[in-house]
Amino acid sequence: MTVKEMMERAGVNSTGLALAWIKDAVHTIKSSHGEELKVNKQNIIDGEREYVLPLDMVAVKSISVKDTSDSKYKKIKRLVFDPTVTEDTDPE
Amino acid sequence: MSYDTHRTWYYELYGRYIHLWQFVDGGNIDTLGSYKIRLPAEKVRTQLIYPNEDIASGLRIEYTSFTESEIFVAEAIETTTARASGTTISFNDDGDSASGYNDIYDTGDGLADFENGDRIRVIGSASNDGDYTLTADAGAARYIQIGTGNLTDEAAGESITIYQIPKTGATADESAHVNLNRMLSLAVVDFMKAMQKELQGDIQGKEYYMREFWKKVADDQSNKRNISISFPLPVYAVK
Repeated sequence: MTVKEMMERAGVNSTGLALAWIKDAVHTIKSSHGEELKVNKQNIIDGEREYVLPLDMVAVKSISVKDTSDSKYKKIKRLVFDPTVTEDTDPE
Repeated sequence: MSYDTHRTWYYELYGRYIHLWQFVDGGNIDTLGSYKIRLPAEKVRTQLIYPNEDIASGLRIEYTSFTESEIFVAEAIETTTARASGTTISFNDDGDSASGYNDIYDTGDGLADFENGDRIRVIGSASNDGDYTLTADAGAARYIQIGTGNLTDEAAGESITIYQIPKTGATADESAHVNLNRMLSLAVVDFMKAMQKELQGDIQGKEYYMREFWKKVADDQSNKRNISISFPLPVYAVK
């Protein structure tokens, strides 16, 4: 469906406003359900726990870590409670 | 070597960061060759530790994204129907059949529906999976062409599927299509009506159209998840 058709159906005259609302609606849809998933892969570094989320992310669908014994990515769980260690100054 | 990562790794979310933790059930773990060993003199206990090994591309995040350049497309997604599939498809990187182009060949002649300018996605190949834009279509059903330097030589044999995808990056104007199917496009229309009602100060009207918006979004999801339930009835059952 074209932007023009949407504007006519909704009775909107301003193209700029219509485009802004369409972007808002798409953003809202993407935050509620997971069509068109993207995948981001990062290297895991020995002794480093902090990794950045993709900057274009709206909602996380899953987080996995590679099992190198069978080369499969397996979903990991979110910690329910904060761990006791807040910073490890001598990680293995 | 990481193993049973679904049981031994956990994450936390902090703002825009993920914190990874490894669960170890024992004392200090060391790596000898590719084997994990528990040091004998250490006290045995369970604990969470920082990741203790390098894993190339080890963290995989699956997510929905908001990329403005992908919202508007040059054609309705319902019209992107060209598709080819088979084990007769091969890839030619040197462009010898048509000077200056890389080619995708199908000796099964299944590429007739593709046209110059189409965006395509290749899956199932050994080394050419990805998205491409066709730069010429001189080969009828036998081959399609992509600008040089994009493909890797690959003989036929793999079970490969090529399908058309919407052309992203369209100029955001009235002639552009929204990169959503028809049901979700109708939901967007309701969203626009709701926003208009809000501008007019009609909050009740806004709430009505927002409900319509969410109903259509939910319909779009439930339409893909039809569940049929069957149960046996006794012969003389009254229903």
